[in-house]
Amino acid sequence: MTALHDATLETGVGTIELRRGGTGGTVPVVYLHSAQGEGQALAFLEELADTHSVVAPLFPGFGASEGLEAIDDIEDASFHLLDVLDRLGFAQVDLLGLSLGGWMAAELATRWPDRVRRVVLVNAVGLYVEGEPIKEIFGRPLDELAGDLYADPDHPVAQLMRAMAQAEMHPGEIPFDVIRPMIQSQAATAKLGWNPYLHNPKLRDRLGRISAPALVVHGSRDGIVPRAHAEAYVAGIPDARLVDLDDAAHMATLERPGEVARLVLGHLQG
Amino acid sequence: MPASSGDDEGATVRFFSFHLMPYPGLPADYDGPAWITCPNELYDPVLGGEIYNRYIDELLYAEEVGFDGVCVNEHHQNAYGIMPSPNLIASVLARQTKRVRIAVVGNALPLYDPPTRVAEEFAMIDCISGGRLIAGMVVGGGPEYYSFSMNPAHARERFAEAHDLIIKAWTEPGPFEYIGKHYKLRYVNSWPRPVQQPHPEIWIPGVGSLETLEFVARHRYAYMGIPYFHISVFERMFSLMRDACRAEGYEADPSQLGWLVPIFVAESDAEARRRYEDHFWYFVRRLLPGINISPPGYTSVRSVENVLKGAGTFALNLQTWQEVIEGQYAIVGSPDTVVEQLGANIERLGVGNLLGLFQIGTLPAPDTHRNLTLFANEVMPRLRQRFGSAPVAATGAEHP
Repeated sequence: MTALHDATLETGVGTIELRRGGTGGTVPVVYLHSAQGEGQALAFLEELADTHSVVAPLFPGFGASEGLEAIDDIEDASFHLLDVLDRLGFAQVDLLGLSLGGWMAAELATRWPDRVRRVVLVNAVGLYVEGEPIKEIFGRPLDELAGDLYADPDHPVAQLMRAMAQAEMHPGEIPFDVIRPMIQSQAATAKLGWNPYLHNPKLRDRLGRISAPALVVHGSRDGIVPRAHAEAYVAGIPDARLVDLDDAAHMATLERPGEVARLVLGHLQG
Repeated sequence: MPASSGDDEGATVRFFSFHLMPYPGLPADYDGPAWITCPNELYDPVLGGEIYNRYIDELLYAEEVGFDGVCVNEHHQNAYGIMPSPNLIASVLARQTKRVRIAVVGNALPLYDPPTRVAEEFAMIDCISGGRLIAGMVVGGGPEYYSFSMNPAHARERFAEAHDLIIKAWTEPGPFEYIGKHYKLRYVNSWPRPVQQPHPEIWIPGVGSLETLEFVARHRYAYMGIPYFHISVFERMFSLMRDACRAEGYEADPSQLGWLVPIFVAESDAEARRRYEDHFWYFVRRLLPGINISPPGYTSVRSVENVLKGAGTFALNLQTWQEVIEGQYAIVGSPDTVVEQLGANIERLGVGNLLGLFQIGTLPAPDTHRNLTLFANEVMPRLRQRFGSAPVAATGAEHP
């Protein structure tokens, strides 16, 4: 396990936060987080950092990353991430994304296929699949949402979400510093995914442009994104394979860090 | 805190009868929200037609008994208020009334695309009524952003831009081109134009979002405090509004402030409670659930912090009648009680517009009628005496 350290990066929309560490690998590994904004204590990234240079940027609106007011939709998000790669000096990367981050990874890989050597999509949103809707994430009680995100009810984040659901009954009593980051990250997610709901209607027809071999991971207990979405990514990307991950729900990279790291390492070497 | 303005204009109070047009027929075994996902199978169109006509009659009656104005508002896909288009009701009122101001409080601007539709419809109502429209503009409630799949993170931007476009459509000669971030219109040329020049009086309702207060202060519009909070929340809200006006370099006039409150008058305090309480609880427990959903990005971080300060006192948390009365969530009692409590609060809040809800929840027609009659005969004259106002005269031409 190689610890990641905090850093900042000047971008076209403002200063963003990122975590980075490790050395090695053919190209740097870039991790794009989900709507939860997971950035700290990512055990699976620390495992990858033993043998790879790893960077995890925080999207504008998440953590202390600035610039959300300059971003309105997934197209703006894609150009922001391209800017991040340019400013980091990365001509080509291995791209991993969870959920919202998976969607962003797919957008980058369709728009600028030469910049992506390998891609890993974990429980990615981004597509519309008729009859297989992505479950509502906005405005639902946190305790209910926790069950869709985490297979293990005792996961620390799931426990925190249930505690906050209790406190929501008395909104004046929650310390505002606890609420503030959630308000900002939800606003950021809404900008990209309110309508069309967490997808880009154009993305599916563009998946054929992805030249990188893709690993598509589906958490078998994901309560948010149905397996049909993973199947649609695999059907659309020319070189892709699907792996089902047992005992994982939506936040699979947090729930099964060792297994996800093993799968990713295998894919990056293959 | 009394209003700081001491001139005669500022001392007057205008009386409005506000109707939400609630759905009274939710079945007893339905305990879900009244918003967004409340199944529309529960809506009975025959009952719906009856209550539309009844509620319109109640608004018309307000003119008959001497109110200065009537108010309608816009909500979608809910049982709380069945006016997805308040402009339709307002156009009926424009035709059927002769004297009262007709306040549409308001049109949810971001839901109209392009918002020149609002400029057109408001101008129609202003023309039909002979210049009696009060043009309310609102961001729209949180639930509406779900019901319209409208991106809440763009709500404030769209509202501000739509407002600018509507004012421009009313005040600048067309045709002209408008190229904004959210609206790009090559030919803006609103037919009709409003009778009132340069444009109708503008009201903005709100629950304490700082951006809204600052917006109202900047444009010298009127701010209508939305009800269902403890009276102390209104006090704070209007104090923030006065601060916002001072920041713009002037003192707020009472006519720029409005207080919306449920009112019920009967012969005695005990009789009032007996006739009213159950209908009020239907409103609180059946129609309010779901109204308070705040979609992501809908409110800025600093405003969320401000709004949350009062959130604990929201009427959904009410348990007992004593809390209702102590917090002045509704003014209920004999004429003496209602005169005393309304008078004290008008002075304390410094408002120049009293917006009363005289029908609420399941309150039946005879009780609503009697409530309006008693208020008009026993309460309004004494408050007019105290605050020195007279019923507004007709402005402009009547319709032919």
